[in-house]
Order: sequence, then C-alpha cells, then structure tokens
Amino acid sequence: MKLWIVLVLSISSYLMMAQGPPITTGTPVMLGLEGAGIRTFGKYIKKENASAYVHVFGVPYNISPKFQVGGVIPFKWVTPRGQKRVGGLSDVAVFAKYQIFKRDGVAKTFRILATLKQTFPTGDSRSMPALGTGIYQTALGLVLGRVTSRVGLYADGAYQLRSGGVTDDLVYNLSMGVPLLPHRYPQRQINAYVEFNGHYILNSEIHSLFLSPGLQYIGGRRILFEASVQLPLLQRNVEQNKSNYNVLLGTRFLFN
Amino acid sequence: MYKITRFRPFHTLLFLIGALILSGSAWSQTPDTSASERIYLKIEVRGLACPFCAYGMEKALKEVSGVEKVDIVLKKGWVFISTPLDQKPEKEQLEDIIIDAGFTPGKIEYSTQPFEYKADHLKQ
Repeated sequence: MKLWIVLVLSISSYLMMAQGPPITTGTPVMLGLEGAGIRTFGKYIKKENASAYVHVFGVPYNISPKFQVGGVIPFKWVTPRGQKRVGGLSDVAVFAKYQIFKRDGVAKTFRILATLKQTFPTGDSRSMPALGTGIYQTALGLVLGRVTSRVGLYADGAYQLRSGGVTDDLVYNLSMGVPLLPHRYPQRQINAYVEFNGHYILNSEIHSLFLSPGLQYIGGRRILFEASVQLPLLQRNVEQNKSNYNVLLGTRFLFN
Repeated sequence: MYKITRFRPFHTLLFLIGALILSGSAWSQTPDTSASERIYLKIEVRGLACPFCAYGMEKALKEVSGVEKVDIVLKKGWVFISTPLDQKPEKEQLEDIIIDAGFTPGKIEYSTQPFEYKADHLKQ
C-alpha cells in the first residue's frame, strides 16, 4: 500500500503539469455552453462472499456555461458465492451542478461548484441480493478544484439525505493528478492519479475509505479511457458490506 | 422491473478496444500558411488548464465565420485563428464565445501577418 503512495508521489514530483478530469472525484471544470458528452464505466467489486459488477452511464449537458444537468443510469449484477447471479437496473439519478466561483489565470484555474443529486429507487430492492436501495436519496454538495500547469488538485463532498428513516450519509473524495507525457493539445496523454474515496454513515460509525491509484489515457480531443483500483484503507462496516478491492475501467466521450 | 441477467464482459472489452483504436486517428492540424487577404488573431484564454476541457473552446471558435483551424498553445493560454479580412470577428464577439465556453478572455491581438508560434501538436 505504502509503495503505491511513494511511487505516485515520486512521479508527480518530477512531472507536474496539467492533466484530465479525475477518475473517482468530481471535476469543477464543465463542458461550456451546450457542451455534452457521455461517461461510462464498469466497476468490479470483490467482497469476501460475493462479487458484483456495476456498469454506469452518465450523460452531462451544459444549459449555460455555469449550469450543468445530467442523468446517471447504473446496471448491477451481483453474484453471491455459490448462488445464482442477479442483475438489472439499479437506482437511477439525476444531477445539477452550478458554478459558484471561478478564478482563471494563464494555464490555471480554481473553481467551485454546488451540486444537487437526486437518486430514485428504480432498482429492485426485494431481490436477493438487492439491486437497489429502495429509498430516495438527495445529495447536496460541493466540488472544488485547482488546476495549474503543474498539478491538478480536486475535492468533492456531499451530504446525502435518505428517506424511509435510513440514516443520512456523507460522501467525500480527494484527488491529485499529474501527466506522464509532455503537455500538448490535441492531446495524447497518459495521466496518473492518486485519489481517496470516503463514505461515512452518520450515527452508526460506519466509515470506509479507499485509496484509488489510477491511470488515464487521452487519445484525442474527444475521448479518454481510464482505469482505477480501489484499495481499502479503512472499513468500519458489517462483514457483508466490506470490499476486498474494486476495479474501475471506463471511457468518456465528448459529443461534436 | 427491467432485468438483465446476461452480462457479456468480452463484448464490452471488444467495444473499448475498438474505440481506443479509432481514437488513434490523428486530429492534428497543419499550420495555416495562406498569408494573403487574411487577418490573424492571437487570443489569450485564461483558465485553459485542462487539455480535455479545451475541446469546447476549439469547437466554439471553429464556428466563427471564416475560421478553418484553431491552434492552441496550452501552456501559454494562447489560441490562434485566422479569418478572411472581410470576415474579421469583433473582440466582443470573441469574448462572448470564450465566456460561453466556460473560460475567461484575456488580450486579443490582430495582425495582417501570421503570428510566430509553435502549436502544441507540432512540439515534440
């Protein structure tokens, strides 16, 4: 574990320039007026007694330079050890982001967005294992980031209100990204990230924190590919909810 | 409830590999050397720090009448375009385009001669 941290920090100290959007953390840089794209990724989740695969499609669209809306459609397949796989639509969400602060300089920017995400219980919560939570979830949060020609630092956090008497929770992510190839546009870049992904459920002391090293390949103006491994640093949780590791593989494509 | 019980990871992998190969085709531009009857612009765009985000800027400027190519020098925050003299864009128009793309306009310079620069796609 420590080897990963030392490796990524060592690389970043030599090669600090700008990069792409972080993999498991929100980005405060939006697409511009009428900008649209698609993000899709698959996430393999390995637990002690089960494995799961979640495939997510996210579509953002910028109504104005400062205001973005979008939808997230996840599909989930769960295979408990020794049992038949169950799969289908999971909980669909819609989101809105509004830029509340922007300070631009030459080849650098600092931005803050306010975010609202509403998740609907569209996944089957009665199946065994469940594909959805069966509750409505409303997340209010912030995304902030400072991107310079030397390094990109990002953070997001959201407080999530949950219906049905379920305890509210807090989601937070931190990210640092650096490129491994020379800085240019149109890009042919490989970027390295070290990210931290946290989830804390209030009043229950359930807390998980993952270290997520990742790589991103930007093959041209409009497409990138990314991969990340999530390794648990802290898991105060019931045994069945603990992950051994997660693997994420995805792509993002900007519409013309 | 809509259910999918068969997931085909191999097909997903094939799709991703195919997209990766397609992305390899170059989108690089060649320098504009047609010096006659054109006006050349050097535009400072602040906040242009993320290469993947620069596509929106390029796309918006390509919609300006007479612009055939857009060269970006990310590290300096410069964008270079040229148009026929009779289609010279006004500063205010360009500033609006930059703001709509989500960035902040800086200094805009006009010249009847091409600016000397080396676009990012020509650097190695």
